[in-house]
Amino acid sequence: MASTTQHALLSPAELAYLHASLSLTPPIRPDGRSATQFRPLAAETGILPGTNGSARICFADGTEAIVGVKAEVERTRRGDGGREDDGGELGGGGGGGGGLGSRLEGDFVEGLEGDFVEGLEGTVFLGAMLAEALLASGEFAKKLWINRRFHWKLYLDILLISPPLSYPLPLLSLTTHLALLATRLPRLKSEGDEDPFFDDDWAAAPYLYTRTKDGKATSRPPVSLLVMAVGNNIIFDPSKEELAVADVALAVSVGEETTKTDEEVDESSSSLGRNLRLLSVRTIDPPSRLTPPGVPNATNSAYGAAATTQKQPEARAAESEAVEGVWKAPRGGAKALVMAALVQKSLVRGGVADEVLDALDAVDLVA
Amino acid sequence: MPITITAPKPVRQLYEDQDDVMSDSDSDSQSSKDGGNNNKYKNMINMIKAESGAAATTTTRSSTKPTSHGEIVTPGEVITDDPQWMRGHGTFVAPATSAIISSVAGTISRTNKLLSVRPLRARYTPEVGDLIVGRIVEVQAKRWRVDVGATQLASLPLSAINLPGGILRKRTETDELQIRTFFAEGDLLVAEVQQLFADGGAVLHTRSLKYGKLRNGVFVAVSGMGGGGGVVRSRRQVWTMEAANGGGQIDVALGVNGFVWISKHVETPPDLLEKTAGITNIEESVSATMYSSQNDRIEAETMREIARIRGVVTALVENGLRVDEDMVMRGYHEAVEMAILSSAGPDDIYLGGERGQQLAAALTAI
Repeated sequence: MASTTQHALLSPAELAYLHASLSLTPPIRPDGRSATQFRPLAAETGILPGTNGSARICFADGTEAIVGVKAEVERTRRGDGGREDDGGELGGGGGGGGGLGSRLEGDFVEGLEGDFVEGLEGTVFLGAMLAEALLASGEFAKKLWINRRFHWKLYLDILLISPPLSYPLPLLSLTTHLALLATRLPRLKSEGDEDPFFDDDWAAAPYLYTRTKDGKATSRPPVSLLVMAVGNNIIFDPSKEELAVADVALAVSVGEETTKTDEEVDESSSSLGRNLRLLSVRTIDPPSRLTPPGVPNATNSAYGAAATTQKQPEARAAESEAVEGVWKAPRGGAKALVMAALVQKSLVRGGVADEVLDALDAVDLVA
Repeated sequence: MPITITAPKPVRQLYEDQDDVMSDSDSDSQSSKDGGNNNKYKNMINMIKAESGAAATTTTRSSTKPTSHGEIVTPGEVITDDPQWMRGHGTFVAPATSAIISSVAGTISRTNKLLSVRPLRARYTPEVGDLIVGRIVEVQAKRWRVDVGATQLASLPLSAINLPGGILRKRTETDELQIRTFFAEGDLLVAEVQQLFADGGAVLHTRSLKYGKLRNGVFVAVSGMGGGGGVVRSRRQVWTMEAANGGGQIDVALGVNGFVWISKHVETPPDLLEKTAGITNIEESVSATMYSSQNDRIEAETMREIARIRGVVTALVENGLRVDEDMVMRGYHEAVEMAILSSAGPDDIYLGGERGQQLAAALTAI
């Protein structure tokens, strides 16, 4: 379970207010967004000339992330840690590459190192969550296959520029998504299992994620969404304050099924939305559980005109019944129904993940 | 559409090139001193810089002439080495030289012969009498340490608060022992700067019925003074306003330090007033609720309007406008109008992104 160590310090009165306003139907979020609305972003790709693909995303509050993707040719170690091929899942990959893809997953994407701003803990979790989503489908590893003896090794450098004003997972995931979409690998000229030899014309380099002639990607990297629940309300892309009162928070990684040919994708995506697939779910430990409870007026020795120093109850009332308007940290696990709804709501066709992918598609890609 | 992704805006040109303005103002002294060997050498350096593709603004500048008004400088950048200029805020003169060097990133401003740099972003500098909103981060034996967005934590001594049950009560050891019942870590309070230390640290007090713990509302931090945005010192920092759409009365407290508190306006409950009848006890009864951390019942309409005001404040800051009573009130009325015209009706309180820009445009157009 990943934790958000960087939790906001909020007063019990603030927490109680936030919780109350987010529990309403429809919830009133402090920044006025609707429950499924994301913060507006500014995005661009192709900003780092020395990379195979790069992207930058900024939030309006100044939070900014840059991702650069570098590719390197690496010799495939033979029979190394050879897991058995999962033939059923990996059929139909380019040539004979299917089997290798599965075996070498771990090798291909091991460069998820944190060059993060110091002071942000949990970078390991963030890196692991992003890597997990990428590797979960097994599709990604197949794209990196060159021939029987060589494969691409990708290094993803993720740089979070500003101190995080909110849990940075969605920002990093969206930026990584764009960078991977913009990634191009040199065109292979050699054939078969000989030493790879590449076309040095960059214009001819194909995209890692293939696309149709009009620039539409036919397959996409996954996105990880941060979803939280307060009461029965499900809220997407929570800000730091909102996360501070969450009953439960999930990082849901969603990918797209890519078993169809190009034409089919075009037809279906215009009419029905995408065939989304859940890749991974991670619970995020919401900081709300660590918050101190508020003191109800009834037990507050500093409340009331008759407040004297005579009576001296505990400075913090130990445990009390829930009183309206007094903050009490959520206890116990999440309700199964709420958890199911969280996942369901992100996966549903034409739902949030779908529209996020649509919006990311619309970003002008410059490799 | 749950997400809007836009292309990044091109870098905004803060000011037009104002080199000719500069040459007007100090032409007499400038021209007489120019032309030495030294200067030629510097021009050469500048040419080399220009060839190597440095920014156009730095290359056109002759280093004896101060960087023109409103131009951006970075820390360590030489603004001028002409001794006729006096250094102001945000600049320093290295020992044994006469060059004025910028110590912050900001825009140059000149007042006659005084050169100063206005920082693009700065932390709050406390001044005596400022009304501030702060958050308790540490509780010590006889005082609290308060985050006010300054370079240092401010301190609030136990002796500078109104104790419950009468202002003039003597402080006892019991009060010291239960210091957390008044303010605990994370609590927000509104206070006034009483005193400043030589190092810039502030001492606060809450010895007024206007001040004290905050509840029934939301907090928003408007970081970074300068650059046009942010809370400015004004006549009134705290006011009560009548909200639209049946939202009732709402209190807004704009701390000079850029911390803003927006809450439902509440009166002291009558049962507490009854207990302490009499005009002499009025302070007691009002201060009775001062240390409560229990919210009153707040209607959804009020919450919605509070969120709308918060949206107005963030939109003002994001678009580089000042935040004061006038702007917030005008912005709020504009936002209510915008919501009525929008497709989602008056309940639409979202003011981020393009909406915020629309709002700012409407406010600056008048």
